[in-house]
Amino acid sequence: MKNGPLLFLGLFAALGFAWAGIVLGANAQLSGLAPYYDSGDSLAYPQGLPGVAARGQLVYRDLECAACHTQQVRRPGFGADTARGWGERQSVARDYIYQPAVQLGDSRIGPDLANLAGRKPTAPDAADLYQLLYTGRGGMPAYAFLFEERPVVGQASDLALPLTGRFRPPAGREIVPSRRAQALVAYLLSLNSAYDYPEAAPAAAPAPAAGERKK
Amino acid sequence: MSAAPQDPRFDPAATSDEAMLAAHEHVLGPQPDERAHYRLRPLILLFVLSGCILFAATYLNRYSGHFNATIYNENLIATSGAAAEAKVDPVAMGKKLFNSPNACFTCHQPTGLGVPGAFPPLAGSEWAQGPEARVVRILLSGLQGPITVEGKAFNAAMPSFGPTGFNWSDEKIADVLTYVRQEWGNKAPAISADSVAAARKDVGERKAWAPDELLQVK
Amino acid sequence: MTTASTQAAPAEVTALECPSRCPLLLLAGKGLGWLLISGVLSLVASIQVHTPTFLADCPWVTYGRVRAMAETAFVYGWIGNLGLAITLWVLRQLSAEPLRAVRWTLVGAVFWNLAILAGVVGIAAGEATAIPLLQMPGPVQPLLLIAYGAIGVAGVLAWADRRREAMFAAQWYAVAALFLFPWLFSAAQVMLVWAPVRGTLQAVVGGWFAQSLWTLWMAPLGLAGAYYVVPRATGKLLPAYDSASLGFWALLFVGGWTGGRHLIGGPAPAWISTIAIVASVLLLFHYIVVFLNLRVAYGAPGTALKFISFGLSAYVAGGFLDALTSMRGVAEVTQFTFFDAAQHELAVYGGVSALLFGSLYFALPRITGRPWTSAGLIRGHWALTVAGVLLLVLSLGAAGWVQGQGLNDPTVAFAELAARTRPWLLGATAAQALLLLGNLLLTLNFILTAAAGCCAREPAR
Repeated sequence: MKNGPLLFLGLFAALGFAWAGIVLGANAQLSGLAPYYDSGDSLAYPQGLPGVAARGQLVYRDLECAACHTQQVRRPGFGADTARGWGERQSVARDYIYQPAVQLGDSRIGPDLANLAGRKPTAPDAADLYQLLYTGRGGMPAYAFLFEERPVVGQASDLALPLTGRFRPPAGREIVPSRRAQALVAYLLSLNSAYDYPEAAPAAAPAPAAGERKK
Repeated sequence: MSAAPQDPRFDPAATSDEAMLAAHEHVLGPQPDERAHYRLRPLILLFVLSGCILFAATYLNRYSGHFNATIYNENLIATSGAAAEAKVDPVAMGKKLFNSPNACFTCHQPTGLGVPGAFPPLAGSEWAQGPEARVVRILLSGLQGPITVEGKAFNAAMPSFGPTGFNWSDEKIADVLTYVRQEWGNKAPAISADSVAAARKDVGERKAWAPDELLQVK
Repeated sequence: MTTASTQAAPAEVTALECPSRCPLLLLAGKGLGWLLISGVLSLVASIQVHTPTFLADCPWVTYGRVRAMAETAFVYGWIGNLGLAITLWVLRQLSAEPLRAVRWTLVGAVFWNLAILAGVVGIAAGEATAIPLLQMPGPVQPLLLIAYGAIGVAGVLAWADRRREAMFAAQWYAVAALFLFPWLFSAAQVMLVWAPVRGTLQAVVGGWFAQSLWTLWMAPLGLAGAYYVVPRATGKLLPAYDSASLGFWALLFVGGWTGGRHLIGGPAPAWISTIAIVASVLLLFHYIVVFLNLRVAYGAPGTALKFISFGLSAYVAGGFLDALTSMRGVAEVTQFTFFDAAQHELAVYGGVSALLFGSLYFALPRITGRPWTSAGLIRGHWALTVAGVLLLVLSLGAAGWVQGQGLNDPTVAFAELAARTRPWLLGATAAQALLLLGNLLLTLNFILTAAAGCCAREPAR
């Protein structure tokens, strides 16, 4: 290779080629994704994150929860995501269009959270989540710094955690979630991707028998 | 190559920059044909590269989903049509609809057995497995009045899932009926969205059916 | 071709001219400092995975942030600094003139490291972007770009001053690394930080950036040094040199297309991950060519060549493992597990880092004019690096495989998974400790060597 400018152009072309193919190509397909309007309930899905939940996503981001949790369900048959009850269908691009900071994650030290609030048969509620965040469980550390311990003034706060055993605060004191914890839990409770978009609908089985098909 | 242990603290250079550059430049220039036949290594590399490209092309052809924006499962081959979409399994879709919030399962139960005295069963029900026109109309306009299902009496108060009620689309009504008609031991043919659309046009917006009235429909 | 010279007495080596020496030693020293910092952070993160209560009380060192800090310090601090030092040195060696614009390089180096420091502190304070390999808070990133430009100017000028018009393989890789980083980095910044794209596109652009940073920047930084040191130290012709340019262009043209690698089965259309799989297989050609060329380093004596042989093996093995784990059948098990981390460590730590170690061992005496101070520290570093890398890759790989099998079995609870992977993760922590110790030995040796000699600055760590 003798020609300096040619090398320079070659470098630019190499970078530009992959960038155009992947980024521009995907952009052409995905940037214009509109919500899906369901004429049955006259609602468009996905629905935007409410304000507190949007702030909660920023808390999720700055605590780097994505280091241990993914938010993408793989299709039935590819891994055991649906069998574990993490979702009933594969996550698709439309699920994320209203999320300002998409947190897909790339590591499953902890379970997938894409459909946390839509899990069947029971989804966790706020009390469960506060409990989990304060005490930690299994491989999840305790995020006690998201909570405040303070003296009970008059009546106990509505938000005070009902803790037992070694986590119980001393008499006359209560553990209350901070604003960040409240925002985070609001975000986690907004993670619901149960709606069935056409592109995510379960695929027809190749066998013609309607009575039996693989789950 | 010297066999004596070398001082690890310093690696002597075996050649100078100039010599190295010159020797390598020479490699790239025209070579005297010393062996009068093809050198093997470049040929092997060519085969390897061709093999990689062949794999790439075949894999890309089979699993790219034709670069379609809506194909997430690489095993699907796009069917004909501009917006090739995966074929939806009506029974699975119908099951989801049946169990969706505030839908059928709340009264008829996920087991299809209903609540004795209150909500009629669907499992083994002669109404559910009855003529297509009948079941479609039940969903389109609702059912109101005394009804006998599997020998037991109920007072029907089924809401409408058509234009006068929840306003489900033709596909949704067809899918959920298809599911009901083959689940829990039921054996009745599936229903297509087109027949729902035809019935909808026929029926328009009307008040809930009385069971006797519906028995006239075949 | 000249034959191998006899044991060269240190007096034969002339130091690099004074102005060129300072920025190179500064960059190398700071690089080693960041290597130590990232080693400590990686050790902490490794402990936190199997013992979640470790340092759980302090938000500044919660697991996610520590991992992000370790990654930033390693990639931008260690590979960035040392890669630039080696790149500039190689370009200087193959140029007819001493390094020009040295003051720019010095200022650039200072600001590059200040920006990384600000970035790492910002991550700890909770301002991270949570974008893989782009974790530094947004405001810091443009500073990094400008500093890089200032450092790179000297390299580009040295390239323009090259001795011969025809460029050698080391120069291609060096120039590629110099030019590609700013373009990559700025494109990613714009699309992810300043005007974020919508929805899943963030993951697609993030994947393109992460894979491009690896294949188009980190790998060339390592290969630039290796392609220079191997023929110079062995005195041999690179055997497959006529194919070397094909290997170079294969890396560059195909590397970026592997971006969808981590979106297999994910919320992006299937073609993106299919193209990534195809690209990983095409990239095997590059690894084969690099292996065929640099294999003369095997069996050759000398510290630099030992490290480069090890690095070559790890780099090529990492590439083949990458192609293997892209296959959907394997990805179904290894995705989202420690196995991906194992493959990453093999390619980046075992591969590129070891290549950089080797290049450093060859370059430093030629910069300071004296050999490395302690042979014992070198032997210690070598043993600890090899043991550490092997233990790390095998432990994380085993942990990942067990984790993957467990994840795909719906009856296995996460507490059970944590228990099953724990012994392997303890092994990984031990490996991180070994690597950290080895790097301490290297840094000590570096300080002792570089401190002596006129106008060599103390590395600021």
